[in-house]
Amino acid sequence: MLTVARQSDAESIAADVKAVARGDREAFTRVYAAYGRMVRGILLGRVPRRDVDDLLQDVFVTAYLRIGELREPAAFGGWIATIARNRATDHLRRSRDHDQLPPELPGGDAVEADTLIVLDAIRKLPDAYRDTLLMRLVEGMSGAEIADRSGLSAGSVRVNLHRGMKLLREKLGWHADE
Amino acid sequence: MSDDYLWDGGGSPGPDDQDVVKLEQMLGQLRAPLPAAPDLNRLTQLRSSHAADATTTHIAYATVRFWAPALAMAAAIALMIAGTYRTLTTGDPGPTWEVERMDGQPRIESASQSARLEGIGRLGVGQTLATDHESRARLDVSTIGQVTVDPNTRVRLVSTREGRHELALARGTLHAFIAAPPGQFVVNTPSSTAIDLGCVYTLHIDEDGSGLLSVAAGWVAFEYKGRESFVPARASSRTDPALGPGTPRYDDTDETFQRALERFDYDRSRTARSAGLAYVLEHARSNDAMTLWHLLSRTDETERNAVIDALEKRSPMPLGVTRDAVMNLNRAALDFWWDSLGLQDASWWRKWKGPYPAKP
Repeated sequence: MLTVARQSDAESIAADVKAVARGDREAFTRVYAAYGRMVRGILLGRVPRRDVDDLLQDVFVTAYLRIGELREPAAFGGWIATIARNRATDHLRRSRDHDQLPPELPGGDAVEADTLIVLDAIRKLPDAYRDTLLMRLVEGMSGAEIADRSGLSAGSVRVNLHRGMKLLREKLGWHADE
Repeated sequence: MSDDYLWDGGGSPGPDDQDVVKLEQMLGQLRAPLPAAPDLNRLTQLRSSHAADATTTHIAYATVRFWAPALAMAAAIALMIAGTYRTLTTGDPGPTWEVERMDGQPRIESASQSARLEGIGRLGVGQTLATDHESRARLDVSTIGQVTVDPNTRVRLVSTREGRHELALARGTLHAFIAAPPGQFVVNTPSSTAIDLGCVYTLHIDEDGSGLLSVAAGWVAFEYKGRESFVPARASSRTDPALGPGTPRYDDTDETFQRALERFDYDRSRTARSAGLAYVLEHARSNDAMTLWHLLSRTDETERNAVIDALEKRSPMPLGVTRDAVMNLNRAALDFWWDSLGLQDASWWRKWKGPYPAKP
């Protein structure tokens, strides 16, 4: 049943993506709701927190403008993830402040310094682990959701979560037996 | 640590899950509701203007185009040496990929044996996944993507390690979806090497080694013996065992245009090649400048003047670039002209050089 439900979900998203290409506004809102957290997780791993929501909008604007280039609606997740990564890289290149994030970020909520230390450690992980951990731990997505949205297999997501956690513990000096 | 809790927060966290719980609590402070979706009224206007004018973005293309083949070759040689040494000294077959049967009866073959794939199995380095006329299978490309293998296909796992994964497609069709920085996934064929630059594509190879690459999203670099094609989304490139990658063209070009381009690329007759080239130069649309630019380095000096004229009509030669420099295939001149073509969303090239741009 779960497989059937996921397939149906995937078909429904593919239909929405096609509808967006035809200019359907309600479909665009549904696609945004479905992929927004994934895109935000990718951005948070790369740019200052204060810029994430602006870039989130930029990424979906770009996707909307270029959706005609996407031949396979089923590839939407990977496609918009690539847009997000490229947009983050462009932003860093322009803002030139990517290597030093202040502990208190203007325009953001006051966040404990420890949290920002953890975020910084995750940002130093390889791409696949960084993205997956932020989707899971910040955006609250389940492993199955991450797989559905990103286009990766459940097995790959599981491996990314476990390897990412292992590396993160090492970076933070946490140990499994503590 | 339980799989379930890290997977979806399900069940009660066990003692080993306490660090996951702690991370959830800390990082949960960063969680916020999604802001409203972008304003579609504004977007609809933008989409109209975008369709009318796709000349707003530029790419710097040189670094990848000139270094990608050399890097790919160096990495392949290093991996081959390392893999051979490990196998000889330890007998360790190295890492494997998950492979799942989708239809029929795929097989996993090695030098000494052949086994039917039942459900889910593992494909090791050096092993071949073979499908017959009615079977299909899905491969996990480490943790960066998936490859679906169609019927009548033979594909071998050449090497795999973090940051570099390589297949060899002897014949048949594969569909690749890769979510990773450029250059991490490579497919060798008898007539070309496809280097993924972050994309979704289909690669078909016939028994004689010729084939077709079609890109759905992103870019693919297609290279063989120094002959290169860079294929963007919605474009395709043929490949041939004698001559390597053909000139890329958009899929919405008409059949006559495509046949003319193939005649230019592969016909042995100089007359037929010239006729093919003449047709392409005359009938290229403005966005076929991508195709014309590739023709600059595929024509001899007697033909190149006409290619320059045709390209200039579709995309004026940028300031600082001279006809002489282009005639001499000056690298910087060709790059400047490419940068002026306005091909969209090619910032992938920066990621090739690293996850972050260099400090200014």
